[in-house]
Amino acid sequence: MSLWNILLDTLTQGSIYFLIAVGLTMVYGILKILHIAHAAVYTIGAGVGLAVFKLTGSFWLALIAAMLVSGLVGVIIYRGVYFYMLDQPRIVPLITSVGLFLLIEDLLQKPYLMGPYQHAFPAQEVFPSITLPWGTIPNAQVMILTLTGVALVALYLIFTRTRLGLAWQAAAQDREMAGSVGINLNRAIALNFLLGSALAGAAGVLVGVFYNSVYATMGDVPSYKAFVVIVLGGMGSVTGTLAASFLLAFAETVLLASVGYVLPRDAIAFLVLIFVLMFRPQGLLGR
Amino acid sequence: MHERAPLLQIANLVVKYGHIQALHGVSLDVQPGEAVAILGANGAGKSTIVRAVSGWVKPAAGRILYAGEEITTLPSWDRAARGMALVPEGGHVFRDMTVEENLRLGAYLESDPRTVRERMEYVYTLFPVLKERRRQIARTMSGGEQQMLAIGRAVMRNPQLLVVDEVSMGLAPVLVDTVFEALRQLKEEGVSMLIVEQNAHETLNVVDRGYVLENGRIVLEGMADDLREDPRVQAAYLGG
Ligand SMILES: Nc1ncnc2c1ncn2[C@@H]1O[C@H](COP(=O)(O)OP(=O)(O)O)[C@@H](O)[C@H]1O
Ligand SMILES: [Mg+2]
Repeated sequence: MSLWNILLDTLTQGSIYFLIAVGLTMVYGILKILHIAHAAVYTIGAGVGLAVFKLTGSFWLALIAAMLVSGLVGVIIYRGVYFYMLDQPRIVPLITSVGLFLLIEDLLQKPYLMGPYQHAFPAQEVFPSITLPWGTIPNAQVMILTLTGVALVALYLIFTRTRLGLAWQAAAQDREMAGSVGINLNRAIALNFLLGSALAGAAGVLVGVFYNSVYATMGDVPSYKAFVVIVLGGMGSVTGTLAASFLLAFAETVLLASVGYVLPRDAIAFLVLIFVLMFRPQGLLGR
Repeated sequence: MHERAPLLQIANLVVKYGHIQALHGVSLDVQPGEAVAILGANGAGKSTIVRAVSGWVKPAAGRILYAGEEITTLPSWDRAARGMALVPEGGHVFRDMTVEENLRLGAYLESDPRTVRERMEYVYTLFPVLKERRRQIARTMSGGEQQMLAIGRAVMRNPQLLVVDEVSMGLAPVLVDTVFEALRQLKEEGVSMLIVEQNAHETLNVVDRGYVLENGRIVLEGMADDLREDPRVQAAYLGG
């Protein structure tokens, strides 16, 4: 594997990890809930995106619809379920979240929704491939890298330049006190779910297009792998999640290229997790 | 005769943590412009009153009224919006933020940037050390500095009612003086206060009136001067 391919795969895979995991990190940061059902929101995004793409032929409409519906589903999960468990021990929302994930995934496998099949998502042509002196970036990867770049800039601006971003940071550091300085936590947390879930929905579309495949159980691997990312990232730190996403992608890519015939990708992810936790139990950037 | 409504009125407040009943029907009030102390030993339930007033715990029974309106079940941010500011036990500064960011968050409900800057300057006159430290991350400051920051953050709200829980806890004597001097100044400017303290001596010099809490019940109530002379208060809280 060439250096260029390692770089490209790392960036692509890291971008996907980040888009999925950042919503989890944001939720964990404020509510300390491990929101497993987030992976189902990702699948819903892929499904909605594909349906709208088939209907309209427009990738952009598909992406927007996926983000809107996923965002809304996220808000409904918060206001309809977790909201009533905020004072319970954390194990209660955690178990509920696992249940929710399985429920949604089973539902998606119904014949009138996705069924047990893989569906093609042929929207790769929307983006051009880019040829640089040292290699080519295929069109699906151009899509993932540019859209993740846009999402990163948007997230950075929201977190550092807006009252909402300030409110999120305050709530993540001390939820009770954030309420007492006047931050409407119901609103701030709902918006947190909205944005995090919308990004997961976008990730669903991007992954669906990248692998040209959408299916009801596509959230299985992300459901646990996103946790590798947020644990590595120090539980609740957005910058940590960013670093962990690309570090994990890099480790996977390099190890896959060298010892890949022994270890599958997901085993590598957990090896990295175990290895890092042995030396830094608080995660990469955790304190 | 039409009497003015108390700014804060607590009636028959009961709070439970699981099976532990922390408050057994507490009633007290704070009149507009008045500073009121709640004195009591460790575990008496002082902080529980503060948490109920702030909306951090839900009372099992009883009512809390603010300026004559029921706020018993209102979320904390609505209480802040009505003019209440809180200095909770331990300060609860936003630990990964700078002094200045903490102060800005205190004025979260104030949208005019000029007003925010003016209040910040005012806080810096109360606690000049905060100005020197304005770019410092809160968690790297000493306990006393964090307490001052917590008070400063509450002052940024320009509150009608300031609720303060054990600001002097663990502070060096010099800092205790600074902190109580700041409270005295705020009172002179017309801020009403509910002050929870174990340091009865300093507190009774600032407040107009006080209540003594024991095992979740109010056992004594009086003007500050009378409480200072009361043998029970002297024995229990004034070291004499
Ligand atoms: N979170 C809690 N869970 C269970 N019991 C609590 C909790 N907080 C306080 N208590 C109990 O309630 C009583 C009053 O506590 P508190 O209001 O903190 O007292 P004070 O502030 O006067 O020291 C104590 O007996 C304490 O052990
Ligand atoms: Mg206390």
